[in-house]
Amino acid sequence: MSLRDGHNGAVGARIGESLRGKSGRTFWRSLDELAGTEDFRRFLEAEFPSIAPDAGSVNRRALLKIMGASLAMAGLAGCGGETDEEALPYVVAPENVIPGNPKWYATSVTFGGYAQPVLGKTHTGRPVKLEGNPDHPAAKGATDAFTQAALIGLYDPDRTKAPLHLGRATTWSTFDAAIREQAEKLDGTKGQGLRLLTGAVSSPTLQRQIGDLLRRWPNARWHAFEPAQETTRRDASRQVFGEPLDWHLRLDKAAVIVALDDDLLGPGPRQVHHGRMWSERRQAFHNGKAACTLLVAEPTPSLTGTMATERLVVPHARIAILLAAFAQALGLQSGVQAPLDEAAKAFAEHALERCRRNPGAALISVGAQHAAELQALALLVNERLGALGNTLGFTDPVIAEPPDGSASLEALVSDMSRGQVGTLLILDCNPAYTAPVDLDFADVIERVPLRLHAGLHHDETAALCHWHLPLQHDLEAWTDARAVDGTVGIIQPLVRPFYDVRSKHVLLENIAGRFDATDRDLVQATWRTAWGQDFDARWRDTLYRGFIPDSVLPEKAPTFNTNPITLPQPPKADGLTVLFRPDPTIWDGRFANNAWLQELPKPIGKIVWGNAVFIAPALAGKLEVENGNEVRVSQDGAAVTGPVWIVPGQEPDTIVLTLGYGRRISGEDIGGGLLHELGYDATPLRRAAGPWALAGAEIAVTGNHQDIASTQYHSAMDGYDFVRTVSAPDEQAAEKKKQPSFYPNRKWDSPSWGMSVDVDLCIGCNACVVACMAENNIPVVGKELVAMGREMHWLRIDRYHEGDPADPAMYFQPVPCMHCEQAPCEMGCPVNATTHSPDGLNQQIYNRCIGTRTCSSFCPYKVRHFNWFDYTADDPPETQAARNPDVTVRQRGVMEKCTYCVQRIREAQISAQKDGRILVDGDVRTACQQACPTQAISFGDVIDPESAVSRRKASPRDYTLLEEVNTRPRTTYLARITESVPGKAKS
Amino acid sequence: MTDLTAHPPRGRRYAEITGEITRVPLDFPQRRNWWILFSFSLLLLLVFIVSAGVLFTFGVGVWGNNIPVNWGIAISNYVFFLGIGHAGTLISAMLLVLNENWRNSLNRFAEAMTLVAVTCAGLYPILHLGRPWLFYWMALYPNTMTIQPQFRSPLTWDFFAVLTYLTVSLLFWYIGILPDLAASRDRARKRRWQVFYGLISLGWRGSAFHWARWRTCYAITAVIAVPLVVSVHSEISLLFAAGPIPGWTSTVFPPYFVLGAAFSGFAVVSMIAVVLRHAFGLYAFVTDRHLDLLAKMLLTTGLMTAYGYCIEVFDALYSGEKQDIATMFDRLTGGVAWSYWSAVICNFVPLQLLWLARVRRNPWLLFLISLSATIGMWFERYMLLVSSLYRDYLVSSWDSYFPSFWEWSLFAGMLGVFLTPFLLFVRFLPMMSAFEIKEAVFEQEQEGEEPRHA
Repeated sequence: MSLRDGHNGAVGARIGESLRGKSGRTFWRSLDELAGTEDFRRFLEAEFPSIAPDAGSVNRRALLKIMGASLAMAGLAGCGGETDEEALPYVVAPENVIPGNPKWYATSVTFGGYAQPVLGKTHTGRPVKLEGNPDHPAAKGATDAFTQAALIGLYDPDRTKAPLHLGRATTWSTFDAAIREQAEKLDGTKGQGLRLLTGAVSSPTLQRQIGDLLRRWPNARWHAFEPAQETTRRDASRQVFGEPLDWHLRLDKAAVIVALDDDLLGPGPRQVHHGRMWSERRQAFHNGKAACTLLVAEPTPSLTGTMATERLVVPHARIAILLAAFAQALGLQSGVQAPLDEAAKAFAEHALERCRRNPGAALISVGAQHAAELQALALLVNERLGALGNTLGFTDPVIAEPPDGSASLEALVSDMSRGQVGTLLILDCNPAYTAPVDLDFADVIERVPLRLHAGLHHDETAALCHWHLPLQHDLEAWTDARAVDGTVGIIQPLVRPFYDVRSKHVLLENIAGRFDATDRDLVQATWRTAWGQDFDARWRDTLYRGFIPDSVLPEKAPTFNTNPITLPQPPKADGLTVLFRPDPTIWDGRFANNAWLQELPKPIGKIVWGNAVFIAPALAGKLEVENGNEVRVSQDGAAVTGPVWIVPGQEPDTIVLTLGYGRRISGEDIGGGLLHELGYDATPLRRAAGPWALAGAEIAVTGNHQDIASTQYHSAMDGYDFVRTVSAPDEQAAEKKKQPSFYPNRKWDSPSWGMSVDVDLCIGCNACVVACMAENNIPVVGKELVAMGREMHWLRIDRYHEGDPADPAMYFQPVPCMHCEQAPCEMGCPVNATTHSPDGLNQQIYNRCIGTRTCSSFCPYKVRHFNWFDYTADDPPETQAARNPDVTVRQRGVMEKCTYCVQRIREAQISAQKDGRILVDGDVRTACQQACPTQAISFGDVIDPESAVSRRKASPRDYTLLEEVNTRPRTTYLARITESVPGKAKS
Repeated sequence: MTDLTAHPPRGRRYAEITGEITRVPLDFPQRRNWWILFSFSLLLLLVFIVSAGVLFTFGVGVWGNNIPVNWGIAISNYVFFLGIGHAGTLISAMLLVLNENWRNSLNRFAEAMTLVAVTCAGLYPILHLGRPWLFYWMALYPNTMTIQPQFRSPLTWDFFAVLTYLTVSLLFWYIGILPDLAASRDRARKRRWQVFYGLISLGWRGSAFHWARWRTCYAITAVIAVPLVVSVHSEISLLFAAGPIPGWTSTVFPPYFVLGAAFSGFAVVSMIAVVLRHAFGLYAFVTDRHLDLLAKMLLTTGLMTAYGYCIEVFDALYSGEKQDIATMFDRLTGGVAWSYWSAVICNFVPLQLLWLARVRRNPWLLFLISLSATIGMWFERYMLLVSSLYRDYLVSSWDSYFPSFWEWSLFAGMLGVFLTPFLLFVRFLPMMSAFEIKEAVFEQEQEGEEPRHA
């Protein structure tokens, strides 16, 4: 930080000295005195040049008010910090620290309460990349888009940097003093009026602490609220088994999966785990060793629906009827008698038939957004199919159940409205934004006399609270959490916290009036009790691994109560149904300030920096709207206005709204102010009784137009063969004929790099895209420029649909650089800025490129991206810190494209050379390949016939994209296998 | 205006020809009009400087380009301006080699037009670069990086072609104007004009020795310049045709572009001829016969360009390539079909009037038809460039292109770059080749004809 260097550093140090140790009123008085001095004015001009010109016009008090938080951030706050030392190079360097060689630490990031295991790569103390943990049983080395983007969340400049009291920056010692008083009061009343509201908690340490707190103060209560969680499944387990249980779908054991509106492969904490399992099964199918069928019935296209063997478009309300028909065929009555239409009947019959042919290897699943009764019926059906214990396992809940279960937030709200809550601590939860609108959370919370919010950002909930306490990000924290399979991960920090933040564990101790423990101590305390004597060795081993081996929760074989399940009667088909889905890249809004995720094209529609009202082509035809026309969706007095996006394959009377937009975070950076104008907020239509579906809605065209930024405006593939399909794994997808060329045939030596992408495995999850962004320092350009067509992602996932727009076949196709052996771009460049390496790479030499853009004109795949402006000049230091030092940051006017992660290739070659060993297959893994949950991408030496990529390319399904152009690309594809469905024309 | 069809004594007639032409810069008769036009062109030049300044400061992003349409009107204007320039060379060099005397009253200003057009064209490839300060890396020069340009690239050929063309045209024009500069020096009355013309006429004395050397130089340069017309514009077309993009990979592109260049160039030369003739009363030199011949050239090259259009359609259908056919249909009916049909209509519809001799000899109709052809050719360049890029192979890459304010302002400014030196030429230098006109008159008299001259 510039505060430390030079003359200003000295001034800053002097100012810091005079403020040191002061807090509260004395701090502000000293600062007030200082503000009048000449030194301070000069310091201000140097440190904060953007406001310095105003310093003269604004009076001192106002200035200090504005500057409060920033000054605290600048380290002038009176808490004990480091003395002003100047950075010096090592005279005696710590062991094993070689600048340029990264260090890896095994840890996890949490998402929805679950741990997503990662290996964090750090360069001299800066985390620069997250990879999956290959030893972890649930993830096996893969990550999803949210996990990859967590890195930039650590460096978010809009994170709160110091505690705020009533909107003004303050110090932790002030907070400590205040909370000590409060703790004493609460001691007296045994916690009367204290409420703790958290998100999903899987952390054993946090659970222990909450348990301790509730034991110490029996009148206190704990509530939990996680917007997109599987509470209905818990409730169903309670109904059927008598206890809340977690369901674990064993997709690798399922020959038939029937997913009724369940996006198993879709975004969420389970995506990596499910993707991995499904992919194993699917690859076994490729090798002829197993069957793998996915039958999906859904109202709107999803990732799972895109990969489906057979897909049925069905309204939300009729999922229950479909399930009931299924159940009835298996001899289970459910009280629903409504008839099915032809297509649905056929679907149900096919599904049943396949399930019957695969006893013990079938699985039926209903999306968790459907009522608990449906989940319960699904359990009974699964039991009849023989799934229990085979494709469906049960354990105790991985996420701890709060006392009121799925009604936890409602209970809190009702207590608050009755004035029974005296102190409310909200820990990493944002109910003011995510709670259903009819709970009136924002109004009801006003009745609480003392409200504390702890979180990363000053969000909607923080704005309503007296205290806002900045929490550590997972990557700088000591904590623990459980992965989706129950494996415990110890989370260790990759870096010391940048800002003046505190661990949630420490905070929870503070509430109880204890101030002496660090977060590490608290986590260790949990495991000391668990491990006893073995603690030191096991602790070291766990930190090395990142997780505790064999710590999955034990499988349970629960007993059924055989009471029949009665489904609620499906509502009359009246009007339109609105479905609410968590946004595929912003989730419930928690990632709204994450630039990588905002710029990440959502899998359906490829929309960025905003959301849309998704409607079917038939409905669009009826309303006579096109993409971007604004519509108003209303129901019972509440309305949401947003631009339309037409989704082929959506049910005609269904409207899909996504959550996460229209947020308010206060921050100094652009994320703060403009965030509210991005997209629409779907909350006004979300009711507590049915937060995921709303019947009887109306839609009206407003006549306005809103620009939607998308990276792909055209997705109809009719007539072209970009994604080829075969009907069996051994069917030929392309004629293996070499086209004539006047270029000489070149002999390649090993290693010569190539890639194979299996379209039959790609679920379109975007993990590879974010991994590539993180690895290659790809700049974020913002909504306007993406709308113009200037997005910078080196790897894009094209989405195509083919056939009838009401029910099309859908595909995902990742497109990196093809690294053509006969590249048109190499021929076009006048200055030798794009050349071919001896090991088969099409290289882009940034410092030679003068920006004629001929390469991009000639590229048939359009995989090249140009730096139209200087995208990196204004980057704050946080963004600069997140960069990978092994990859050049490109200047304005330079072309860039996928390099097959050449920095990884060279690093592997160099370290192999240093170690005196030969490079073997698997030593080099590109970022995209490494991140992919389904192993769709394979990369390696194409000259070696035994390498994984060569074996894939030898498959009959192998084909070249745009084969007719004869560029001889090194990136080839494996065709999608679409089984012919009886009664349905093959697309 | 002297009636040169009368028969004053021969010597005096020749002297009058030179006098008439050199009088224009010396006693400039159209000062006010020239100043109005020149102020306007200086204004456009200022727009150019501002637009280029914004471009260099902020980057190519100020334009409307994206991926896939990463070339826009900067490159289509590049081709457009370069194409216009070719007619000048065709008139001055090719017709010289073919011994067509009628070019003698047109060649000087046609060649001057070539020079300014090539300058304008040559600026575009530098302006559109992402890092324009490194444009010289396209040149072949000994450097510490020991890297040469990539010779398979059409842009490297571009660099050499345009540089060669500019150099040869400049030389050719200068050699051609030398004797007249000397004549102006001899006829100048004011000292400063004498010094000015004296300096730039390099001591020309008109001796037989000078003329002998001069004729050799002139002929050699002409012979070098003629094939350059074909090679430079064929090479420009390879900028598009060398790549695999549908709509561009057509083997008809080199002749198609050359003919289109000749067409647009003749249109501009016709326009200039009509204007200059009218402004300075040069009816004796640029007669109806000249207009007639120019119109015939225009009609011929226009029909040949029309052939190019037809062959393109035939090529696409005959190839059976799905993408090529799709691009062809898209040009006729898709998002930029307006540019296609504007090109077809502006190029070829008014052109048909030139079948009528009456129309050919009417200077204002010729001007309007030429203007239409020029605009039509601009649309054609735009259509060729954008229609192939905005929708090419992969459906996922399809996007649209809208030139931004800075691109249009740069175009407007480039017209200033075109006009300013040309107006200076008209003001200060003899705009027609007096001695060549005299040569033509002499030859006709030798053949015993009435001096129709030129």
